Amino acid sequence: MRMKHTTALVAGIVAAGIAAPALGQEVLKLPNMSYRTGPFAATGTPHMNGQLDYMTMLNERDGGIGGVRIAFEECETGYNTEKGVECYEKLKSEGALVTQPWSTGITLQVLPRTNVDEIPMYAPGYGFSAMQDGKTFKWAFNPPTSYWDGASMIMQGISDGNLDSLDGKKIAFLHLDHPYGKEPLPLLEAMAETHGFELLPIPVGLTEMQNQSAQWLQIRRERPDFVIMWGWGAMNAGAITEAVKTRYPMEQFVSVWWGAHEPDLNLVGEEAKGYRALSWNFVDSESKLMQDVKTHVVDAGKSQLNQQAGEFDTTAYQRGILMSVILAEAVEAAQEQAGTPMINQEQLRKGLENVNLDEARLAELGAEEMMAPFAMSCSNHTGHASAWMIEWDGTKFVKVSDLLTADRAVIDPLVETAAADYATANQPWQMNDDCAE
Amino acid sequence: MESLHSIFVAPFADMVAAPDFFLQVVWEGLVSGVLYALIALGFVLIFKSSRIFNFAQGIMVVFAALTLVGLHERGVPALLAVPLTLVVMFFLAVAIERVVLRPLVNQPDIILFMATIGVTLFLIGLGETIFGGENKVMITQQLGIPTGSWTMEPFGGFVSIEQKDVTAVVGAVLLVIALLVFLNKSKMGRAIRALGDDHQAALSVGISLSTIWVIVWFISGIIALATGIVWGARAGVSFALEVIALKALPVLMLGGLESVNGAIVGGLAIGVLEKVFEIYWGQPLLGGNTEAWFAYMLALLVLLVRPQGLFGEKIIERV
Amino acid sequence: MFYRVAGQYKTSYQADYALFPVKQDAFLLALILVVAFVVFPLTASDFMYRALLIPVLIYALAALGLNILTGYAGQLSLGTGAFMGVGAYACYKLVTIFPELNIIVAIALSGFFSAAVGVAFGLPSLRIKGFYLAIATLAAQFFLVWLFQKWGWLYNYNASGAIQVPNTQMFGVTVTGARASAMSQYFVVLSVVCIVTFFAINITRGRIGRTWKAVRDMDIAAELVGINLMKAKLSAFFVSSYIVGIAGALFVFLWRGAAEADLFDIQLSFRVLFIAIIGGLGSILGNYLGALLIVALPVIIGTVPAMFGLPISSAMVEHLNTMIIGALIIGFLIVEPHGLARLWAMIREKLIIWPFPH
Repeated sequence: MRMKHTTALVAGIVAAGIAAPALGQEVLKLPNMSYRTGPFAATGTPHMNGQLDYMTMLNERDGGIGGVRIAFEECETGYNTEKGVECYEKLKSEGALVTQPWSTGITLQVLPRTNVDEIPMYAPGYGFSAMQDGKTFKWAFNPPTSYWDGASMIMQGISDGNLDSLDGKKIAFLHLDHPYGKEPLPLLEAMAETHGFELLPIPVGLTEMQNQSAQWLQIRRERPDFVIMWGWGAMNAGAITEAVKTRYPMEQFVSVWWGAHEPDLNLVGEEAKGYRALSWNFVDSESKLMQDVKTHVVDAGKSQLNQQAGEFDTTAYQRGILMSVILAEAVEAAQEQAGTPMINQEQLRKGLENVNLDEARLAELGAEEMMAPFAMSCSNHTGHASAWMIEWDGTKFVKVSDLLTADRAVIDPLVETAAADYATANQPWQMNDDCAE
Repeated sequence: MESLHSIFVAPFADMVAAPDFFLQVVWEGLVSGVLYALIALGFVLIFKSSRIFNFAQGIMVVFAALTLVGLHERGVPALLAVPLTLVVMFFLAVAIERVVLRPLVNQPDIILFMATIGVTLFLIGLGETIFGGENKVMITQQLGIPTGSWTMEPFGGFVSIEQKDVTAVVGAVLLVIALLVFLNKSKMGRAIRALGDDHQAALSVGISLSTIWVIVWFISGIIALATGIVWGARAGVSFALEVIALKALPVLMLGGLESVNGAIVGGLAIGVLEKVFEIYWGQPLLGGNTEAWFAYMLALLVLLVRPQGLFGEKIIERV
Repeated sequence: MFYRVAGQYKTSYQADYALFPVKQDAFLLALILVVAFVVFPLTASDFMYRALLIPVLIYALAALGLNILTGYAGQLSLGTGAFMGVGAYACYKLVTIFPELNIIVAIALSGFFSAAVGVAFGLPSLRIKGFYLAIATLAAQFFLVWLFQKWGWLYNYNASGAIQVPNTQMFGVTVTGARASAMSQYFVVLSVVCIVTFFAINITRGRIGRTWKAVRDMDIAAELVGINLMKAKLSAFFVSSYIVGIAGALFVFLWRGAAEADLFDIQLSFRVLFIAIIGGLGSILGNYLGALLIVALPVIIGTVPAMFGLPISSAMVEHLNTMIIGALIIGFLIVEPHGLARLWAMIREKLIIWPFPH
């Protein structure tokens, strides 16, 4: 018995080893750690569809990037960190150019390895806010904007730019009880101290995402002036339905970008009128970018998206598209710098540092209405794109603010401390000293 | 002194100060209690008739709800989808009896328990393969369940009661009454109870074990569908329910493994107590989320005093 | 024929009680150890270490701990995941408070913390039995995970609420943290597992082990023949939780590298329980066989569609995998309810008398 298992094991591994190179070397391997199953699939799937479809579109329309086709392989994790280890090792052995961990738990495991394995980590719109410090986190990128940036912009949004007007107010922070949900806490605590508002963190456990009656009873009792939501997956829909039930005023309910998810709001429709979210992207289905995706991928039947449910027009799907746009920009920049279309991990890292999505480039892509311009550099791995407040009008989201900008004076010192702490905890930690300030 | 005050005085003062809020808390607790009781009822039925600790009851709830929603998505009208789902649950009961239970007759409890965990995994995989792994929305309106809410304004505040929660409670009560009548009055029900009392004696008077098992699992399937509709209407249909179903365990422990009444009382008690504890003690003093463990700790304390549970039969051991 | 016992005479009871009454068993074990210590390190890739070898060993160790409690002493536990968590958090605190501490010493010490917690939650077992006892361990499971989340001191008040493993060295080689090579981690895990297994075999064969078995088979009868139930049950909780705690520390420090509280949830407990039951309750070998089946097989199945170039999405592979594992559990329980270890024992019997039928 024992020997049988061992041989099966060895056979499986050998076979897996052979299968990998058989795919051929003439592709750019940009795999994604997806989760189309599990409690987080509700928000995960449309993003992953978007990411995949843009890469498919590049393959179909331009034959890839710089003439090399893209292999956007998915490795299913189900948001499970154990599958994350397995996927990471598998993709690494296949020569992945980039890691897209998608879950904060997996990010935690992979981030310290980036310096050793030297594979860039690309966490668009998620990951650690401190990753903006490119000197410390040489291999990690979280464009276009970080959670701390997001929290800062939300506070500006709800106070109409005058943070001191929040003095004496009570702000509830409804978050997933998970590293991701806790991420903005240090910033919010710091802001509460300077601006004199009371911060009330309300955690939602993973098993309670769909039944938040205890949390909303607490909100009903405490009567906070604002509820800021940092949710994901099934949690957002649960919170929105509970908010309607508790008769919490929607104008005081604001979410981070993941809460800008039309299917969650369609559940309650009109009743959620006034609900706002901070979003770094905006739906523009008529843009050249989206129309290209539509012609080359969706209409050609090469997409997994759910057309009946109108997934194409959702903020989440189009956000996924933009995530891949940024990555494709980085690949292009890397190819230009390296002078060869077949880049390696180090060259892609350089490429990510040289992403420059300015107004002109966004217009060229046909995405000028979809996101704000930004650029990354050696020391700035986030880019700090500005974002809009968008509001649910009963059937769709509309922009209700100008572009908001995060308050660097508050965030940067926090980033510096957090990055330094991280480097100390993970000694010996390699800093990137090549960065000019 | 400060801490004693916040534990023993302040919570009660809060309750009195805002009685409308307290009523709302109790109501919310009752509604989750109904769900716990329903899941526990499915457990008890199977345990009574076959001594199997059916871990799969939770996933049967998800599976039934998924089938219902999945059929509707594929164009079956809602009211036809319900009987069709019941047919599916019937075949599931037959399959479980044939494939899992029959070959495992007379095995130790823990092996049967594990087998139901195997069934759980299989059903999760099957459900995801057929219907996809993402969350679904229960077809509440299509089933004719009212979705509005009533607001009462006692004590100068307000208590908001969802009509679908009321439907759930009424439905659950009707289901329980029907079940009790079936168990106590019908021939089949008496056979089930006889089997629960003494396997061999029941067999010797001509009660067919395999028929009864299929029927019992099917009834659990019906309860699962009812639970699935109730809970799905409240919180959507997803595999996360599997973990919530574990709450049925402390309910059972509290009520006693064999007692139908115990399952109902235990479910409602735990639903209300955990909510009240969370709101008045957990959130202000312990940082919240105490609902995750409160039910288990309570059951543990009760068991230390009464090892057979509140309604369980006294255990007599002989060497 | 292959397993010929003829000619191996035993002239004393000592010889009959020896660890390997049959010479071939010792050869087989030696062969496996050679494969584990020499052949794998020469051939394995990072993927094989981190996705197969290390997890199989760690899960087998956790199952071994559980098996002592459930398989030998007959006390059902559904709280293994949380006890692993106690070991992991204890190890994290030890390493951050005393950075000079050798990592092996820290791991060995952290076992005592989980053992203490295990005994505390084992106390109800003196009054509550069977499935009713499972509730006590479930209470431990949910309460401890909640505590890991709420008690900031445990994770040094990290903003993320998660613990991160620092780089630590042993004899000049980095063994934990991101800079450690997979091979060095594998050797540490393998050595710990071998040592613990050796002790576990001997404890379960000895006086304490026999007391546990007596309690398992019928506790009242055991009490009547003069066994102190309290001592027997609590010592089982102690030893079991100690091993589980060590497994938990290894789990985070030599494999995952980081952990948040949810890692130790009920699913982990069930996973370990599967391994113990599929492998065979009341068996040491079974834990390894069970871990191969439950941990390694899904990884291997996951690579199959890609191997044959089947156009199945990776999500679908996961769904099918869950289904297959569920079916396998039912299948194995039907074929051999006493687990893979019994299956091996039967094959061994057959080999001993082969080619004769009786």
